[in-house]
Order: sequence, then structure tokens, then C-alpha cells
Amino acid sequence: MVAAVSPVFRARLRIGLLIVFTALVETTLGSDLRVAQVAPDLMVLLVICAGLTGGTESGAWVGFWTGLLYDMFLTGTPVGLSALTYCMVGSAIGALRTTFLQERRALLPIAAFVGTLAAVLLFVAAGTILGQSQLLGGGRSWIIRVMIVESLWNAVLALPAGYIYARVARGSAGAERVGAPIPTRTA
Amino acid sequence: MAVYRRSTRTRNVIAVLVLAALTLVTIDARSQGVGVLSDARSKISDAFAPLQRATHAALRPIGNFLTGALDYGSLKKENEDLRRQLAQAQASQAQALAQQQESDQILRNAGLTVPSGVPGVAARIIDVGPSNFDNTVTIDRGTSSGVAAGQPVEAAGVLVGTVRSAQPHVATVELVTDPSFDIGVALAGGNTGSASGTGRALPLRIRVISTNLKPPQQKVGDVIVTSGLDTERYPRGIPVGRVTKILDVPGAIEPEIELAPLVDPLQLSALEVLLWSPP
Repeated sequence: MVAAVSPVFRARLRIGLLIVFTALVETTLGSDLRVAQVAPDLMVLLVICAGLTGGTESGAWVGFWTGLLYDMFLTGTPVGLSALTYCMVGSAIGALRTTFLQERRALLPIAAFVGTLAAVLLFVAAGTILGQSQLLGGGRSWIIRVMIVESLWNAVLALPAGYIYARVARGSAGAERVGAPIPTRTA
Repeated sequence: MAVYRRSTRTRNVIAVLVLAALTLVTIDARSQGVGVLSDARSKISDAFAPLQRATHAALRPIGNFLTGALDYGSLKKENEDLRRQLAQAQASQAQALAQQQESDQILRNAGLTVPSGVPGVAARIIDVGPSNFDNTVTIDRGTSSGVAAGQPVEAAGVLVGTVRSAQPHVATVELVTDPSFDIGVALAGGNTGSASGTGRALPLRIRVISTNLKPPQQKVGDVIVTSGLDTERYPRGIPVGRVTKILDVPGAIEPEIELAPLVDPLQLSALEVLLWSPP
């Protein structure tokens, strides 16, 4: 029975469980780890790892479902806002990775820093355009503080998170469609 | 050609997902808290509550350790401040009790009721608002314990927020610092005002309601309490915060007052929901 389940499906299942586990950690431990009142956003870090490991499509899918699950824990913003933001960030990171970014040791922390900055900015901008003006309630200084602290947190946590995601996505031979090795440009 | 097909497929996938997300946002924003998506959110939130509770219990010591390590300096100073405040509070408690008894006697003589003895439900915080743009906490009590949307929430007798939504076993509490939080407060000289949150770690701001009365002569350090007027959602006399700044607004008679919350709910693990509804 177990053998009948395709490796690709198993890999997707593992990624799904990782998303749920990350949501639990984010909503319990993550919110306790506040620096200057700002908590890390582990969900967007997972999405960035998915984009870097699996490319554009994987980044978009993981971003959408991660954001949608995260939206279920938020009460101040409409369902779909995080899904929209994370989907766009995941696919953008994936697209940059497959077309532009070369493999380097510092790639993951830098991508986590820049991707998180973009995610916070996009979340606030998209939310405001879609009528969620309370996101601007804390003022510009609060948004900048959130952007910087969240990005620094994710840059620090990027290497272990990237390692865990790569293990989960590539754990089985058939997981290539989800966690495929990153295509590199050839001359 | 293969590259072209893959690229088109990827673009289509992204377009479909973005459109799906936009559709969900539109549906949820228009339904205003009532509808399929809100129901789904409530049910998922309720279903995850036991897992969250267990994870929180298991991971809280790690969180406390890391938070303690990150904030060691400020925690030490805060501890000293709290010891000093406790000594002051104990000294003034006896005095306050006597004044309260006198105040209650005056109200009874005038034929007015005193909204005391409001029953409460003790609740534990199982989630401290995961988002940095959402000043809420999730508690482990819901409609099955009598909790309902709109009820005031206290910590150590101080107002910390209101119940935003309640599911059978969990409820979301909107904190006083949330920009959408608004409450009527009593000010000096018979004045009243409206205190609003401005964001996490930021002071509340009081807009004084214009009347024929002399503008309130508040001092820095005054404790501001709920007004409990007829149209207000909360009982009278719950402490909300301490005055930290009084700002003169150009062209306005009334000043603008800044208020620091008396407790930081993010540092607490237990709250009390007052099972109170406006008369």
C-alpha cells in the first residue's frame, strides 16, 4: 500500500507537513522571539527556501499554500492576503534563482534578507490597496522596523531552514519535480 | 520549444494562484466576518487549538530562555522597577480601598448602581499574535466557556483588550494597542475622551470630546479609567493606562493625551475575560 504512493506525492506530503509544522512553530515559539517587539516570520523563510530549492513554480505553490494556512491564524487581515504575498515572493525568488542568481555560500542568507524585505513591503502595499489601511496604523517607522528585524531574523535562520527544506523536498528519488535540482544556465 | 512550454505553464500557474488569492481577499473583505471563509478560519483555528496548546507548552521554555537572553539588560531594570512599583502599590492600596468605599456609598445614596462583581473567566494565552501587523492574542477559552465577541479582557485588573471573535474552544483578543481599538475613557473635570491604539509598543492616544466643560487638567502619571457611559461597551472604572505625554494641538482647545498601557500582555500567560455585556 505504501509502495503504491508515488515518491512525488510523498515529497509533497512531507512539504505539506513541514508547512503545518512551521505554522505551529511560528504561532507558538516564533511569536515569543521578539526583538524590538518584532517577531520573525518563519513562514516567508520557508517560501524563500522553496523558491531557491525548487524554482519558480515550486515557490509559487508553496507560497500560496503557506500563505493560505498562515491567513487562517490572522484575524486582522482578509484570507488570501498572505497567500497573494507569499505566492509572488516565492515565484520571484524562484525565477531569479533559475535565471540570474548563481550558487554561492551567502546566497541563502542574502536571498532570505532581501526576500523578507520585499515580502513585508508587498504585504503592506497590497493590503493597503485592498482596503486594509490599519496596516499603516503603526506609522512608517514601525514598518521599517518590522522589515529590518524580520529580515535579519530570517537571514540568521536561513542556513538551517534551507538545509531542512532541502532534506524534506529531496528526500526521495521521485521528489525531483517538487524539489528538483536547481537548473543552471549553460553557455 | 520545450523551454517555451515550461515557461508558459509556469506563467499560467502563477497567474491562476494570484487570481485565486485576489478572489479570496475580495470575498473575505466583502463578507465582513460572516461567510464561508470566516467559518473556515474559525474551524481551522479551533481545530489547531489543541496542537497549538501542546506546542506552546513544549516550546515556551525555549522561547522564554531565548527572550530572556535577548532582553537580559532590560529585564533586570524592569524587575527593579516592578519591585519599586509593588511597594508603592501596597502603600496606596489601603487608601484606595477607603476611597472606593466612600465613592460607592455616594453612588448608592444618589440611587446609581455600581457595576461591581462582574464574573470573569480565566484564560491562558496560547498564541501571541503571529503577525507583526496584528495586535492580537489567542486564548484557550471560547463560546463553550461563555466568552463572546465584544467582552472586555483584563490582566491583573487592568484592561488589555476586547474579544474580537470567539470559537467554541478558543477566542481572539484584540489588544488595546491595535489601531482599530477604540474605547471611551473618563478624564479630569468630568470630561470624557476616546482612547485609540496606534500600534504594538506604541502609546494609546486620547481624543478629548468637546463639551462646554473646562478642558481636562491631566498630569503626567495619572491613571485613566474607562468611562462606562450608557453607549460604552465596558463597565466603568477599569484602568486603561497611565498618562505619559500631554500635547497641545494647534487650533484646538482640548489637548491630545498619550497613554502607556499599564501592563504588557505579551509578557503575560494568563488573562481574564469579563462576562459582561452592555446594559
